[in-house]
Amino acid sequence: MKLEGFPQTVSLRDGTPVTVRPLAAADAKALLEFYRSLPEEDRLYLKDDVTDAGWLHRFVALVGSGEVVSLIAERGDKVVAEATLYRALRGWSTHVGEIRVSVAPALRRDGLGTSLAGELVKVATRIGVEKMVIEVVENQVGARKMFRKLGFRQEAVLHGHVKDINGTKRNLILASSDVSHVWDAMEALVADFSPSAE
Amino acid sequence: MHKTEIRVGGLGGQGVILCGIIIGKAASIFDGKHATLIQAFGPEARGSACSAQVTVADEAIGYPYVKNPDILIVMSPDAYTQFAPQLAPGGMLLYENELIKVDGTLPKGVRAFGVPATRFAEELGRRLVLNIVMTGFFAGVTGLLSYESVEQAVKTSVPKGTEDLNLRAFRKGYEYGREQSAGKS
Repeated sequence: MKLEGFPQTVSLRDGTPVTVRPLAAADAKALLEFYRSLPEEDRLYLKDDVTDAGWLHRFVALVGSGEVVSLIAERGDKVVAEATLYRALRGWSTHVGEIRVSVAPALRRDGLGTSLAGELVKVATRIGVEKMVIEVVENQVGARKMFRKLGFRQEAVLHGHVKDINGTKRNLILASSDVSHVWDAMEALVADFSPSAE
Repeated sequence: MHKTEIRVGGLGGQGVILCGIIIGKAASIFDGKHATLIQAFGPEARGSACSAQVTVADEAIGYPYVKNPDILIVMSPDAYTQFAPQLAPGGMLLYENELIKVDGTLPKGVRAFGVPATRFAEELGRRLVLNIVMTGFFAGVTGLLSYESVEQAVKTSVPKGTEDLNLRAFRKGYEYGREQSAGKS
């Protein structure tokens, strides 16, 4: 699936320009370097072993299949953030997309994660996703705030579901954003229906 | 006074009226012209015939009804069959070319431009934006209104949260329209 409107230049709060664009197969090495550079504690919260070359190979294949949309942010020739939209292509939840965002520690709280997640929300609504979900650990305060700003609301808490690097059990929060109403309004607008005909 | 009469025809649910509204809004609010709109619905909301008559002029419009349009935009075979013979000689037909087959019944001198608007809309992610692709195609082929005015009219006429895709649909139709227009000039 070709994503239109990219590359984009995003200015961080300090004015630093960062390029945002869809992941290409040629970016695999740079993406692996980015994930390997993340602190171990951050990587622990991800579902996959993102430092594994095998995972990367499968991930790039999923991007090609349309099951995954991946946006990367680059500064110079380095990947400094990645955001992923996972979408099941079959089954009972094809209308649901899951978002994951990872940002290099040095660039956090600069608006980059919000920009990437916001772009993914736009892509998701465009390709027919009606509901978006995220999983965040209770102490990921910045991520929770960012997704709240984007319209995500807490839907469930899985108690003691996650063990951090010190072995401490933490709650996992499931939050979602229902975007189906956005297109309901458009559907009503193109109905070409005269209220007086009722 | 320079006056252009436009008819938009299609089926309920294709966004025919919204297409007419956007053209009228672009002309009157964003392009400093005058415009009128007459809309006609079938008895049902979806699937029935529906059309909009838009007049765009440099001065105030005294009579808003369109009998022999200079430009006909059609999105369904029925609308083509019904309205194509009414086109003014030398007029312009803009049609969805994967739904409509143009026959030899067009009035003399009519120039026809087709666009696979439904396919473009589906490729962009939602069939629902077919009418916006058609609107962009209209702007691109005719050049009657400025790109900026129609773009602004699209942006301010669609629901919040859908602007991004609608604007992409508009640009897609516009660019295709420019190409088609250049190819036939």
